[in-house]
Formats: sequence, structure tokens, C-alpha cells
Amino acid sequence: MSNRKTITFAFMDPPFENERTVTFFRLLDAALETGANVKVFAYEGAAALSFALQKAHGNAVHGRNETDEDHPLTKNWIAALQTKAASKDLQFDWVNCGLCVDERGVNECISGCGRGSPADLLRYATASDNTLIIGTR
Amino acid sequence: MSRYFFIQSQDIFTEVRTNAQFNLAKSLAKKGNSVSILLVQNGVVAARKGARSAQMDALLNDSVTVLADNFSLEQREINVNNLKPNIKVSTINVVIDALLNGDKVIWN
Amino acid sequence: MKILQVVEQAFRTIVEEQDDTILWLTQSMISAGGDLEVLLTGNCAYYVILKQRQPSLTLGSWKQTEPAELNRDITNLLEKKIPVYVLHEELLERGLLDTPVHEDIQVINHDQLLDIYDRVDQVWQW
Repeated sequence: MSNRKTITFAFMDPPFENERTVTFFRLLDAALETGANVKVFAYEGAAALSFALQKAHGNAVHGRNETDEDHPLTKNWIAALQTKAASKDLQFDWVNCGLCVDERGVNECISGCGRGSPADLLRYATASDNTLIIGTR
Repeated sequence: MSRYFFIQSQDIFTEVRTNAQFNLAKSLAKKGNSVSILLVQNGVVAARKGARSAQMDALLNDSVTVLADNFSLEQREINVNNLKPNIKVSTINVVIDALLNGDKVIWN
Repeated sequence: MKILQVVEQAFRTIVEEQDDTILWLTQSMISAGGDLEVLLTGNCAYYVILKQRQPSLTLGSWKQTEPAELNRDITNLLEKKIPVYVLHEELLERGLLDTPVHEDIQVINHDQLLDIYDRVDQVWQW
């Protein structure tokens, strides 16, 4: 474990609103695939990515019920990446900006994600080999 | 000399900032730095052969490595034969390689 | 009331929502009796050349099973006789003019765009 490199990502977009969210998750998956530990600081709208009460739905326009629509949920993407990290003996840490969580009422997050502050971003970055900031646009 | 790796999600047709972003990349390269750009999302639109993008064409004539994300290309049905010369298709793993290599990786 | 839906934010949510949300909204409002027309502008010009379903996203063990079908969504509009417009100039500047588009999509010039804006009651710029 000790020779594994670590990358910190900071992200600030909410689920279901921007293509950046998909690219961000693809980067997390690629980092784990490469064998790197991952640390995420979720800021502003990104605090809702791990919200536990996200719910899939059917889609009448698509002509599919809830099961068939199999709607993507970012909380499930995070869970899948947590599983992938564990299977490769990698760290996958996720902290949400606490004030951002409070503002949005998205306090209930899935297991493995926690509440933090900007100090955690600094702590993550300091402990990492490199950091990527993905600002909103 | 430093190594810079830009992830270019903003595109020249809708984002006026793109011009300044490309100019910065070219300037850093002219100064002797290693500069790479990965086009992602709508950033790949200017990579298509026939796209009217003077900024992109200038970039391709400079000493900047320009790559295009395979998933973004596939979404837009742009295949390798549709790309301008000097643009290579890449997976997104190249970003992770750059980060692990200690490059300064910047999201545009 | 005739409404022109101006769809401009291309590929924004298509992976997560498995569609373009404004095309979805348009189809929903048409089903509710709306009198709408659609302008695909900016990078949404790309929508008219798509022939295939979107690629599936895979993240760890999660794999997308129902990726967006933008060509289906546009065909649905055309089959309901909803006018769908794209600007010749926007296809040209993106190098898309040599790519076939659905025969019922109306490729218009700038003057025709002005006429459409004049003719409709409201323009909804999303």
C-alpha cells in the first residue's frame, strides 16, 4: 500500500446537471484502474452526489418502468467505485463540504462518505502526489 | 521546464474563454515547457475535420500535443478519420498518467 | 400558443438522464397538448447527425443498460409532425455539412430563422 500513489480531486457540480459530472467519475474510475488511491473533496453542488435518498424512477417518454429504465444515480456510482477500490486494496476517501451539505439539506450520505471542511481539501492535497481541481463553468 | 496538461472541456464555438486558454497553452509551450491538451466533452467539436476553428488550427501548428477523449468522440460519432491532422485519440487514463507523473494538470 | 423551443446545451445530461432533458420536456409537453417547434442550435447541431445510440458508461461494476437515444427522440418529434430546425451555418462551421441528416429535419438559413422567431408567439431559450 505504501508505494501506491494518491490523487486528490475537488469537484463542485451537482448530479444530473452537467457533462462534467460524468467526466469526473470517469477520472475517478481511471485513477483506481491505474492503481492510485483516490481522495475526493465534494464542494457546493457536488455535496449532493452522495445523497442517500436519491431515487430512480421510470420514464413514460422512454416507455420504460423504473426497473427497465435503470436510471443512473451518482450515489450508486460512488458505491461502485468504493467496491472497486476495496477489491484492489486501494483507498477511496470522500468528504463533503459540511456547510454545502447543510445549505442543500443533503445531510444523509451513503456509507463511506463523510462530512468535512475546506481544511480537509488542504489535508488531502498535502497527503497526495497530485491534485486536480474541476471547477464549475 | 515544467509539464502542463490541460483538460479542455470548453469549446471554441460557445465559450469565449477558450481563445485565452489556447493562447496560454501556446505561450507556455513557446517558453520551453511541455504542454499537452486533452479535448473532452464539447471540447472535441473543434477537432473535427472541416470545423472552422482558427484557434485550434493554430494550436495544431504549434508544439502542443493535442489529444481527444475517445468517449466524447464516440458520443458525437466522430471517428478517427474525421479528426484534423495531429490530433490523436486517447483514453481518459492519460490524465491519470499526467497526474501521477507530477504534471500541472488544469481543467478548462 | 405556438412556442419555439431553443435547445442549445448539447450533451449536458445525456449520460445521467439517459436523454437530453429539453427534448424530453418537449416530448412531455407535446403529449400534454403543447404546440411546439424545436430549434437545435449551437453544439446541438450535432444531434441531427447522430445515427447510433449513445455509448454505455461503465464505472467499476456499474454498467449503464439504457443509454440515451437522441436519434430516437428526434425521430419521435418528426413522426408527430413537430418541426425541427438546424442552422446551415452551424453545421458548416462544425464541419458537419457532408454528413446526412434526417430528411424531415429542416436546415435553415439566418433569414428563415428570423421568420420563425417572428411567426411563433413565444421563444423559450433553454
